[in-house]
Amino acid sequence: MISDQLLSTLNDKLAHSLALLMQAQDLQKLYDVKVSFSGKQGFLSEIMREMAKLPKEEKPQFGKEVNRVKEEFEKAYLTREQALKNQALMDRVRSERIDVSLPGLPLQMGAKHPIHLIFDDVISILNRLGYSVRTGPQIEKDWYNFEALNIPPDHPSRDMQDTFYIDSDHVLRTHTSPVQIHALLQEKPPFRTLAPGSVFRCDSDVSHSPNFHQIEGLLVDRKVSMADLKGTIAFLLRELFGASMKVRFRPSFFPFTEPSAEFDCSCPVCNGKGCRLCKHSGWIEIGGSGLVNPRVFEAVKLDPKQWQGFAFGFGIERMAIIRYGIDDIRLFSENDLRFLRQFIL
Amino acid sequence: MKISLKWLNDHVEVMDFLSKPEDLAHLLTSVGLEVEAVENRSQQFANVVVGQIIKLERHPNADRLTVCQLDTGEERPRQIVCGAKNHKQGDKVVVTLPGAILPGNFAIKKSKIRDIESLGMLASESELGLKKESDGIMILPADAKVGLPFAEYFGLDDVIIELNVTPNRADCLSHLGLAREISALLQRPIKNAKTEIKTSSKVSTKKSVAVEVRDSQLCPRYAGRVVAGVKVEPSPAWLRSRLESVGLKSINNIVDVTNFIMMDLGQPLHAFDLARLSGDKIIVDRAVATEKFKTLDGTELVLAGDELTIRDQQRAVCIAGAIGGLNSGVTEETTDVFIEAAHFTMDSVRRTARRHGLQTDSAYRFSRGTDASGVIRALERAVALIQQVAGGDVAADYWDVDSRPLQRQPIRVSANYVSDRLGYSVTDDDLKCWLQRLGCTVTSVDGGGEFEVTPPDFRSDLEQDVDLVEEYGRLNGYDRIPETLPSLSYAPLAVDKDYAFAARVSEMARMAGLSQSVNYGFTGAKYQSELLGAVELYRQCGLQMDISPVALRNPLSEDLNVMRVSLLPGLLSNMLHNYRHGSSNGNLFEVGHVFRHASEGYGQDSRLSMVTWGVPTGVWQKDERPERVFFDLKARLGSILAKLQIFQVQFKAWVETPSLAHPVQAAIVFVEGRNIGFIASVHPQWLMNEKVRTGVAIAELDLEALGRGQPRPVKFKPVSKFPAVQRDLAFVLPRDMRANDVATEIVKSAGRLLQSVEVFDIFSGGHLPADHVSVAYRMVFQDLESTLSEQKLTELQAQIVSNVEKKFAVKVR
Repeated sequence: MISDQLLSTLNDKLAHSLALLMQAQDLQKLYDVKVSFSGKQGFLSEIMREMAKLPKEEKPQFGKEVNRVKEEFEKAYLTREQALKNQALMDRVRSERIDVSLPGLPLQMGAKHPIHLIFDDVISILNRLGYSVRTGPQIEKDWYNFEALNIPPDHPSRDMQDTFYIDSDHVLRTHTSPVQIHALLQEKPPFRTLAPGSVFRCDSDVSHSPNFHQIEGLLVDRKVSMADLKGTIAFLLRELFGASMKVRFRPSFFPFTEPSAEFDCSCPVCNGKGCRLCKHSGWIEIGGSGLVNPRVFEAVKLDPKQWQGFAFGFGIERMAIIRYGIDDIRLFSENDLRFLRQFIL
Repeated sequence: MKISLKWLNDHVEVMDFLSKPEDLAHLLTSVGLEVEAVENRSQQFANVVVGQIIKLERHPNADRLTVCQLDTGEERPRQIVCGAKNHKQGDKVVVTLPGAILPGNFAIKKSKIRDIESLGMLASESELGLKKESDGIMILPADAKVGLPFAEYFGLDDVIIELNVTPNRADCLSHLGLAREISALLQRPIKNAKTEIKTSSKVSTKKSVAVEVRDSQLCPRYAGRVVAGVKVEPSPAWLRSRLESVGLKSINNIVDVTNFIMMDLGQPLHAFDLARLSGDKIIVDRAVATEKFKTLDGTELVLAGDELTIRDQQRAVCIAGAIGGLNSGVTEETTDVFIEAAHFTMDSVRRTARRHGLQTDSAYRFSRGTDASGVIRALERAVALIQQVAGGDVAADYWDVDSRPLQRQPIRVSANYVSDRLGYSVTDDDLKCWLQRLGCTVTSVDGGGEFEVTPPDFRSDLEQDVDLVEEYGRLNGYDRIPETLPSLSYAPLAVDKDYAFAARVSEMARMAGLSQSVNYGFTGAKYQSELLGAVELYRQCGLQMDISPVALRNPLSEDLNVMRVSLLPGLLSNMLHNYRHGSSNGNLFEVGHVFRHASEGYGQDSRLSMVTWGVPTGVWQKDERPERVFFDLKARLGSILAKLQIFQVQFKAWVETPSLAHPVQAAIVFVEGRNIGFIASVHPQWLMNEKVRTGVAIAELDLEALGRGQPRPVKFKPVSKFPAVQRDLAFVLPRDMRANDVATEIVKSAGRLLQSVEVFDIFSGGHLPADHVSVAYRMVFQDLESTLSEQKLTELQAQIVSNVEKKFAVKVR
């Protein structure tokens, strides 16, 4: 047949091109093979032009052969192309080796001051018991800071708190207790309130800062007992320090509570066995508390026969010292990032 | 205050605690008398005994030393080498044995001195810590018992308890007072020693001196008695030792007796030299204004006029209850004394003592309240003791001007009430029993189970029923109080909005990478005003700052003498601290209060302040231009505002800047058209002064203004399902034009299809005209309803270009 010669050329060229495909080492070279074989100016186009010269009866058979060859080439091309693509990806991936020991990129989150960590934790625990936060002025009237709290002028209990004076009638509040008075004057009992805040005492040494923080709770209801107070404080301290915490009350004196109690918790460092933090007593002093003195109700014109209450409060810095083992009170006001960034919680 | 166990034992039996003072300390602390320290004196003198020199020879190898054989009550004599000269054979001496540790941590050991063995040391008074200096070793009287521990011999086998007495327990500021408490607790009787006075008919108080109390309000009781012919001299050893054991200095026998009675019974006394009183009359009255008064210790006071004084016919001779006068005190020449025992009201003594800085033991006790009913007993004890230690004749009569108000009202209380308040059950009998042990008179009121309780005179702190609740509770031990949780049958109060907002802003600032600072509310006036510059300029930013900040009357120091008007003095000093301690970059914020004068009193405003400094480390792409820090902080501020759902924000150049701010890198922040604060680079002058070699940016915002309408709810906007298309445009702008103005115009021209526009490149130089920059904007277009056509986009872009070019007379690039 006339087409035999042409058919042989076709098969030879296919075999040659398939070999070229396998030899091509990158996608460009592979594409070049494709162009020269099946492109517009390529071998197959040329052979189609040759086919036109064939006798009519041989054309269909030869045409089939060309299609078969074309398909076979395409298939081989795609296979090879995928292989080369895979190869290229593998090469790139291999070239992207990193030193995994290098530090990660810095994260952008800032730290919370430990004073606020304690505030937030105490507030969220007492929120569950129905206490709502309330604030008050830091430059406070003498009446709110002292007199209404049963601390009359020229009374020895004024000596308990070294006071900064602004003028004859205004002080920097020495405790968060004046917020109790604002609450008693503004709210209708029964209620529960919680006052976190900044307080000032005219006294500064290695363990006392002239401006520190307290939080204070107040509950007013028809009947309130020391047992309720102790239970509330115990709940708070166990939530803060863990369920095995024990709570101890010691008699004390605060003009605005009667009876008054200081409260201790079993030392969270040694679990009450005795260590340096608790001075080998097994107990840590936390704060003060008591039943609201009827004189305080009288001062805010509430009938002490109708209303009773309890109050408790403690220093935040001290709590942070116990909780985190902070050993220098200056750290609270220096705001050193090496200190603060330990409290990204 | 210091309590001696042996002294306490005069009033109640406590010697069983000598070997275990911790038990007593624990007991006292558990009832509210906090023990701060327990000092066991006898332990200081362990291995120190009384010995006798039975043989004394010269040291064979040293002329100045002696070799002594001592009888120390041991089986065999003890050989000790001694360098002193004042001892002889037969002397009783103080022998320190190996193992003794003398003051100054001086440990006694066995040794060899010039080849002769020495098994201890003969001690001098200074070596024993009894005197500052002494000559030679201590020679004891011949009757000292050989072998007796020195502590016991010298009366130093005592325990000193240091108590922190709360202001309500003035009754416990004496040995008798504490003894009463122990008596109630342990049910041990009070030893009531009889006071025997040999009076003399030769002497009469009332004939020697008249007493007139002109201010009985401040002096409800005044008593006094004369002892004539006393001999003023040093006190006997027992009295000296008693006073020294509780930290008082011995002065002379008369003054020592008054101090002894004060520590013993809690009643301060004063001794006048009768001969030095002018006019034979004592007047109790307020001072004369501007009157001068010289105290016993020589301090000259100018009196204001309302101080209560003890006066003679001419002048003040004593500030009542606080301190005596130099003009009338007991001296070595004194022969006749007038002993005063009085009751002055606490307010008056406290006010006077505070005003004149008179921190005496007497003022301390009077200002906490003394027992007026104990005045005569103290006076009798005092004159008896004076007679014992200084001789003299005690007058048979004495003054007692008593104008105390009538008896106290009894307190009504029931076991039910006590039980309700403590939270555990209390029986009538038990309550009655404990109150009686405290010295209260308890009588039952018919029906209702109530008692009428009259506390003893010395317990003036017991006034209300709750005071009795506390007494019962503390004596029974607070450990008995159970733990219960009060039930909640009412709605919780509203949340404090300001506090909640401050907490939320703090959280957002933390999320924006700033760490939280907490600074003092006060600062130094000079530091603050020099740092901030002209504070009135901050008003343009909506920040009120007083030109003269609220000042403290009694500051601790010049560094903390005014209230802060801004949070920046604190934050910038934090920044410097960090920078100098190795943090070359960082971000801090503070949410806190600043203070100002208000129309009525004072006001406090909440602020948010931020500081950013340096170039972040750990990021490969570093931009070290100083203004980078400004934009770093601006991004953080932007993130906080966005989280607060605040989108209408403008930054306008702050033209009149204070010295702290960089004059051309400062902006006033407007939120919804209202100025609420500023953001700025810190002035390079400050950086130079503080030797900071990196950029620092600061911001301060009024938190109240920021919090308007907060919390703002999130408003949902639908999200397009069709593709977004990005288009870039660059305009050539004069350098002093603000890029944001063009962006605003783009937003206006593009309408609802524009989703966002932002500056993504700034370029100057090249072919651009001088003083011009090319600002490239990237716009994102998207339609909610359909895919945007190319034609629509081209139209939009042409519209934008034409509007911007027309409005600002600028050219697209």
